[in-house]
Amino acid sequence: MLYGSMLSVHAASPVDGVSSVTDRDIRESAIAFVNTSTTPGLEGATISLDKADRQSEQWRASLGFAAEFTLRDHIYNGFWGLAAIGGSLSDKIDLIGDAGQPVHLDITRNVVALRGSLGLSFPINEYFKLRPYLSLIVSDMRSNTIVDGLIIPVPASNTTTSVTFDTSAQMLSTVGTIDALYSRWYGDNRLELVAEYNLIYTDSFSSDNPILSTIAWNHTVQAKSRYSGPTDLTTEGRPWRWNGYVNYTSYISNDTISLGYKNFFDVGGGLDWEINIKPLDWFGWQALGIRAGVIIGQDVDGFNVGLTAR
Amino acid sequence: MNIRLITLFIILSLAACVQAPVFKAGNYASIQSNYPIVKVNGVDVEPVYSLDIDAGENSLVIIYNTYQYDYHCSFTWEAMAATAYEVTDQENREPLTLYRWVRKNGLWAIRMDPVHPLRCVRDAR
Repeated sequence: MLYGSMLSVHAASPVDGVSSVTDRDIRESAIAFVNTSTTPGLEGATISLDKADRQSEQWRASLGFAAEFTLRDHIYNGFWGLAAIGGSLSDKIDLIGDAGQPVHLDITRNVVALRGSLGLSFPINEYFKLRPYLSLIVSDMRSNTIVDGLIIPVPASNTTTSVTFDTSAQMLSTVGTIDALYSRWYGDNRLELVAEYNLIYTDSFSSDNPILSTIAWNHTVQAKSRYSGPTDLTTEGRPWRWNGYVNYTSYISNDTISLGYKNFFDVGGGLDWEINIKPLDWFGWQALGIRAGVIIGQDVDGFNVGLTAR
Repeated sequence: MNIRLITLFIILSLAACVQAPVFKAGNYASIQSNYPIVKVNGVDVEPVYSLDIDAGENSLVIIYNTYQYDYHCSFTWEAMAATAYEVTDQENREPLTLYRWVRKNGLWAIRMDPVHPLRCVRDAR
């Protein structure tokens, strides 16, 4: 699939004070940002977040494609995918300092990543298939953190001041994914249901921040539903189909404090142009589409618009 | 310099991926299938994935295998001479679809004029 899109999120994050922020919180926040940007199936989105003590803007976009290919003389098919991914987060958090003074954290993170996936697809019957695959993701993350309001002890006085940290980390993630896919036709309309589980192992290296030299295990789940039907539109002799979708995403292992949210629904619709070509005479590229949706959740809301290819 | 040569090699390799089909001399068409063809114009054959076929009406039975069932899909269509056809699974209403395969350029081919199977008979494995 090809994705290029934007999303915006609102999150709740009760953070009491500077001393309550641990090294673990910093690590998990950085890894959660990279995982939410790069994990397969989570696609492109832009999220903005607006709470009394936390405002953030996160976007992620990817350009890539994934497809099955036939392995003759076998019931199972192969599956591959490649994607280039970019993401950014601007996270502003208000805390209470140890002396009771207000402390403002302004964190900017950027990530670029490459993802390659390879796996198999097992058709159980004409409606249902299981698709396990592995993805390798190489990510480069840069962070800039401004802490405003820290009290630096100076002889004979206390001074409130601002401190800036620049850090970077290179991460190598291995993701094991299993998709369960069900589809059924009702006349000219088609229903597709997908359940997806990702187990993510991340090895992070940082030359300038030892806190970020770490490993982490995370997992996510997604449930996707999509209903599509024909339209009267054609372009270059190829038909367009409408679709509506409802997706649910949960970053199960993330603490809410990491990004301010853990799960959300994504509801929207779009149009697919059935181009039906066969690049490199190897795999089928059925449709190029546009879509738009809104994001709804307990701690998050926003929207996404984008291009899709399947 | 080396990067330019490698880039050029990759571009030339990709641009040569889609070859023009070669047809048997005479009034023939060709068909490629991602799944085994087991019957041609009513005659059982050893499973094959590509065939030269006479232009005109043809019928094929192709098996789509899954772990629970085998689907024996029957196609009948009018094949044109010097034309390539392809059968693949495309998430359509029936498990398999027959297309006219047209080379667009060296990078991609297009699938035209879908023909759906007359029926797909399901057998338990």
